[in-house]
Amino acid sequence: MSGATVGIRGVAYALPRRRRSLSELETLGQLESDAALLEQFGFSQVYVAEEETPYSVALAAARALLEEQAVAPASVDVVIYCGTTAVAFAPAGSAIDAADQIATTRRFQYPATRLQYDLGLGCASTLALDQLACTSLFAAVRVARGLIAAGEARRVLCVASEFFPGAAGREAIYNCTADAACALLVDDAHERNRIIASTQVSKGYYWDADALREEMVASYFPTATHVIAETLRRAGWRPNDVRWVIPHNVSVRSWEILMGLSGIPRERLWCRNVARIGHTLAGDNFINLRDAIDDGSVCHGDRLLLFAFGYGAHWTALAMEA
Amino acid sequence: MSAERWILVTGATGLLGREVLARLLAADARLHAFVLVRDASRWPEAARELGACRAVPLTGDLCTVDLGLTPDVRAALRQRVTAIVHLAADTTFSAPLEHARAVNTDGTRRLLELAADCVSRVRIAYVSTAFVAGRRTGMIAEDAAAATEGWVNAYEQSKYEAEQLVRERAASWVMLRPSTVVCDDVDGRITQMNAVHRALRLYHGGLAAMMPGVAGSTVDVVTTTYVAGAIARLALREDTSGQIVHLCAGDAALPLDELLDITYERWARDPEWRRRGIARPAVTDPTTYSLFERTIDEVGDPSLKRLTRALSHFVPQLALPKRFATTNAEALLGHSSPPVRAFWLPMLDHLLASRQRTRAMEVAA
Repeated sequence: MSGATVGIRGVAYALPRRRRSLSELETLGQLESDAALLEQFGFSQVYVAEEETPYSVALAAARALLEEQAVAPASVDVVIYCGTTAVAFAPAGSAIDAADQIATTRRFQYPATRLQYDLGLGCASTLALDQLACTSLFAAVRVARGLIAAGEARRVLCVASEFFPGAAGREAIYNCTADAACALLVDDAHERNRIIASTQVSKGYYWDADALREEMVASYFPTATHVIAETLRRAGWRPNDVRWVIPHNVSVRSWEILMGLSGIPRERLWCRNVARIGHTLAGDNFINLRDAIDDGSVCHGDRLLLFAFGYGAHWTALAMEA
Repeated sequence: MSAERWILVTGATGLLGREVLARLLAADARLHAFVLVRDASRWPEAARELGACRAVPLTGDLCTVDLGLTPDVRAALRQRVTAIVHLAADTTFSAPLEHARAVNTDGTRRLLELAADCVSRVRIAYVSTAFVAGRRTGMIAEDAAAATEGWVNAYEQSKYEAEQLVRERAASWVMLRPSTVVCDDVDGRITQMNAVHRALRLYHGGLAAMMPGVAGSTVDVVTTTYVAGAIARLALREDTSGQIVHLCAGDAALPLDELLDITYERWARDPEWRRRGIARPAVTDPTTYSLFERTIDEVGDPSLKRLTRALSHFVPQLALPKRFATTNAEALLGHSSPPVRAFWLPMLDHLLASRQRTRAMEVAA
């Protein structure tokens, strides 16, 4: 697939109202590790949904994006929704029983189609992606790029909204998790944020990630290094060509190690949102892209590398030209 | 027929020492050996293999005053011994310096004191390690260059200090410096596991995320047969006096990247292993590796933490690229060490087979 002119036209995101500091989370018993250790790893606070639902936050992000970009609703050809359908309409604090949702005809209530309706995207067909954890928005971009390259769409709205399971606390492998939604528009022939190359590696062996946690953690770094190197190779870039690495918001320490492994200078990691927002599962990289553009870090033409890992287990990267 | 000759051998109950002693005795029918044995219960097995009617065990300990020998025994040694072949060592990389020194440096000092008391001019064949070079990089000559860069672990330092003692105090000496022994012979059979095998098992188990290394990093490993044969041939030869000899792969060492690749390819021949999608460990700079080690130490699972700590006394050498010169060894022996490429893959096969045997036994139990 050439896809050389496909670009990300815009990004918007929405966060729940409630924020909690590490010490609050520790007091509430929401952390497995010491707050001090997580602070060393770059975390400070996270956004925690209470009355919001994944769908309501997704809708807010998507609506903001369409308004900012001033695109006609009829120009959106496809909506791709990323997130767990069974809990999409349940407030985080009182999650309905997912099994009950699946066992009744309510399982046919889909957030993707509701988004299409609520946003007035009458010409858009809908798709949904699941089972990709923190890499699902990358997958949405890949699918969008494929649809555009195949001539089946010119503009695709990708939305990811995922809340961390309520009973799982606020920590996943020494990372503090946040709730958020992120929306982006992938456009044909867009000159900014052009997608140059992408790679995804899935390792089914780790499907039971909890049982193979140590092995998966050990596999994380060499596989991530391979995926980054492969993406750079496909883009025709050297590590030093990358102006910014736009990360997923996992431990800054793990990123420092990965930067060393990848041969990209450590100061090129844009990681301000690890402390400000926390790890929002699927939205991180694109939320960070938006903020890095807004704060002037990313300039027109900068070469960007986005990388994320999804528990269960997926490694993915995008090379983009801002 | 000329008179019998007596030597003292240390470390002869170990894998290498046993092989050296057997070869020494086989090569010279006049040769008799006193064998310093710390754990007397280990001697009968060694003796059985040696058929050692010309080997006399003496219970003693390098770490004890007078080597733990009675005055009568010391008197007998003083009268008869003309050479000491000193192989005994604590090779634990993670040992604290004081412990490593107690065995490796002070033990050597006690042997030198005994040698000085002997009636004859005693020759010392000191079996050291190529890694007395410590943190030095580049071409490592077969000489007594100072370890200006320090050492990776206390084992290296204690052996370096012992070498200094030997050079200063022995009337006649030869310094034999093997690199890391990984298998018995080119057939790859492994009798004794060490840090290299533990690192490889981590790799096979999918638990090795990364290793330190830089451009030019190589892995220099050798076989027991080569090292034992070389020691047996050179230990007592008068023309090696004052010589330092590297018993290393030298130019036939393998680049680290290539070694990781061929290891991966070998294991990937097993479809079940390949299906797991285990990644080849990344090779990274020492700073990044240290950060990784620190992180595992802070948050790793207990077994991973233990393994990473154990490796920390060994793997930093991988990021200190060095090439051991083997000019002296080749000139004296007339041949070089077998190339690593010749025995690495068979060694991997044996390593895996031994693991499978262990697992089968665990299941059966």
